[in-house]
Amino acid sequence: MFTSPAVLGFILFAAGPMLASLVMSFTNYSVIGDVKFIGFDNYTRLFTGEAPFYFKSIMVTVYLVVLNVPLGIIGAFLVALLLNNKVRGWSILRLVYYIPTIVPIVASAMIWMWMMNPDFGLLNYLLEELHLPTSKWLFGEDSVIPSLVMMAVWSTGNIMVVFLAGLQGVPHHLFEAIEIDGGGTFRKLIHVTLPLMTPIIFFNAVMHMIASMQTFLQAYIITDGGPNNSSLFYVYYLYREAFTFQNIGGSTAMAWVLFVGIATMTGLAFLTSKKWVFYEGDD
Amino acid sequence: MHNISKRMFTAVVLIIMVSMLVAGCGSNNNTSTNGSASANNAGSSETPSTVDSKKDPVTLKFTYWGSPYEKAAMEAAVANFEKKYDYIKVNAQHIPADYETKLTAMVAGNEAPDIGYVRDFMALPLAEEGKLHNIFDFIDQDPELNKEDFLEQAFIYWAPEKSFGMYTAMESYGMFYNKELFKEAGVAELPTTADKALNWDQLIEIAKKLTLDKKGRNANDPNFDHNQIRQYGINFAANFVGYMPLVSSAGGDYISEDGQSFGLTQPESIDMIQKMSDLINVHHVAPSPAESKSIPAAAASIQSKQVAILMTGQWVLLDLGKSGVDFGIGIMPKIKYQVSSPGFGVASIFQSSKHPEEAYLFWKWLANPETSMDLHANGLWMPLMKKYYTDPEFIAKWADVKPAHPDGYKEAIMETGLNNFKKHPSAYVKNFVRIDSIVQPAIERTYFGKTTAEDAMKSIEQEVNALIQGRYDK
Repeated sequence: MFTSPAVLGFILFAAGPMLASLVMSFTNYSVIGDVKFIGFDNYTRLFTGEAPFYFKSIMVTVYLVVLNVPLGIIGAFLVALLLNNKVRGWSILRLVYYIPTIVPIVASAMIWMWMMNPDFGLLNYLLEELHLPTSKWLFGEDSVIPSLVMMAVWSTGNIMVVFLAGLQGVPHHLFEAIEIDGGGTFRKLIHVTLPLMTPIIFFNAVMHMIASMQTFLQAYIITDGGPNNSSLFYVYYLYREAFTFQNIGGSTAMAWVLFVGIATMTGLAFLTSKKWVFYEGDD
Repeated sequence: MHNISKRMFTAVVLIIMVSMLVAGCGSNNNTSTNGSASANNAGSSETPSTVDSKKDPVTLKFTYWGSPYEKAAMEAAVANFEKKYDYIKVNAQHIPADYETKLTAMVAGNEAPDIGYVRDFMALPLAEEGKLHNIFDFIDQDPELNKEDFLEQAFIYWAPEKSFGMYTAMESYGMFYNKELFKEAGVAELPTTADKALNWDQLIEIAKKLTLDKKGRNANDPNFDHNQIRQYGINFAANFVGYMPLVSSAGGDYISEDGQSFGLTQPESIDMIQKMSDLINVHHVAPSPAESKSIPAAAASIQSKQVAILMTGQWVLLDLGKSGVDFGIGIMPKIKYQVSSPGFGVASIFQSSKHPEEAYLFWKWLANPETSMDLHANGLWMPLMKKYYTDPEFIAKWADVKPAHPDGYKEAIMETGLNNFKKHPSAYVKNFVRIDSIVQPAIERTYFGKTTAEDAMKSIEQEVNALIQGRYDK
């Protein structure tokens, strides 16, 4: 009885629309014309390569995920370790590292675009001063995804905060045990901190992977999927299909393919987790 | 317990249903929906209930885009309209970004505006599906107006005799440049008359003298370093807006004459796209799509001296005029034909409107340059009505107004726009958006110097031909 608002909310605002979009994915709904059921046509169009650049958008997204997840997790973990050392002013530092996360992405994108300007940007200026090769950054076909990952790693403050909370929960007596055995900082990290942190690393990695697979805003604000479709992320492709080409039916089919893809990847992650994630109280 | 939860559940459902009803009422037009609002409505089968033609209040929903400056001007135009027609209230929604997305959502939710701006490529399929009114149905009934009062080329047709409206304003292409940089480089000012228009080689020569690297050497200098460019001689949009006026000038087209095959594989088109790519990759006088992404918007790039000449639509005059920079105007270069192109937006009346007559009154208001004269005088728009191009008294109202209309404006921009007008392909190619999503990456590959124009266009020919569905204008 007391759950009824939540259940109703779920039915009205989540399950209902999902069901509706599933039905739509079997139609040619385009807002403009008449709606017809077309069976699996939307799906076959995707997998037979009839939809231009569809596979390219999958490759682009996979490339981003492969780069972004490890770098983001490692980066955030290192910062969390640093902050966990209770250096003087660590609370200020924590704030400094967290700020990029709350800056609206539009604002930070603009600043990065300036910095990455191939002709007048700060980054290339620094590289030139150091006599290093410059880059086209966000505006080059090969460098756009690494540039976007660089921007993304810079704003992983929320992951960092979760890590920090986890690190502060690592029991002290285990460290003392290592100290008695004559182990140093490195051993503490390898034998105590990391194993105890695996559940949190796992959680963050899965969440970060799901978020990366749904990358949209960067392409939408900065690159328009370019240059030459080299940042045509899956969700941006889907958005374009729906609102530029008015093909709502086809785009809902894409959304369902993505849903199944994310569910599969998450499932796989859970399967591997048995091998490396350590929960206290496990044998 | 079980009983209570059942009652609770019923209550919740009831509350939801009631709130939906209320919301449903709210989303209706807040007019008394007792038939037509206009008593002298021609095709209306209703007879006005009262003898005196006191009109019921009508609310029109109007959506449009534009800069903050346009928004202010539009709000003033709306206020004046409401003063004149005191029974009509215009609920004007300014949508600065993502216009197509929002309009699509509105149409999908049966919340389409009565009248609104629509991009040409979106309006054409909408009109084909019967979602937009044929504007001639109104103009032909109108004792005050004739179709001939307007510029014929301003109407966009989805079928013969069927137009969903005109461009929101006329536009015309030209070259806009920073005079100071010309003086520094010792380059003569650009020609403004059609008989003196630059050919392509002359344009390259001028652009070379105006392109400087960080040490101040121009592109003719043997030591010129093209990886360190400080000031580009020329810039243009990296998509069809940039190359199509020139491709048309060379005698090419986006789609074949009969509307059956891809047009950019024609020799004239390929040659022109290659020429544009050479500006970037051979002569190094124009930024690649990568660099141009990071050059500030049109007028600002001339002001900040990052670009000497800008090839674009005359709407930049508004910002240039406000910037205080000493700028000049040139007529578009001529390959074979003198060509100028328009903008993209159209003001259309939606079929779903319950008040088409009032929507037409407002459409007329928007199409009349008098109602937004300041937007014409400050350079943003060009009038849609003929007499503003032919009658000196009316020309003086806008085309003589400084600083937005410098010397030479009338020959270089106004007359070219009137006499050498060629619509963008988005206004006459069917399935344009899908086709261009294939074409644009190929153009980018060319501009990045990765491939020749010929290879790029030939490589997508088959794919494009599969998407071609014909022309709207044939």
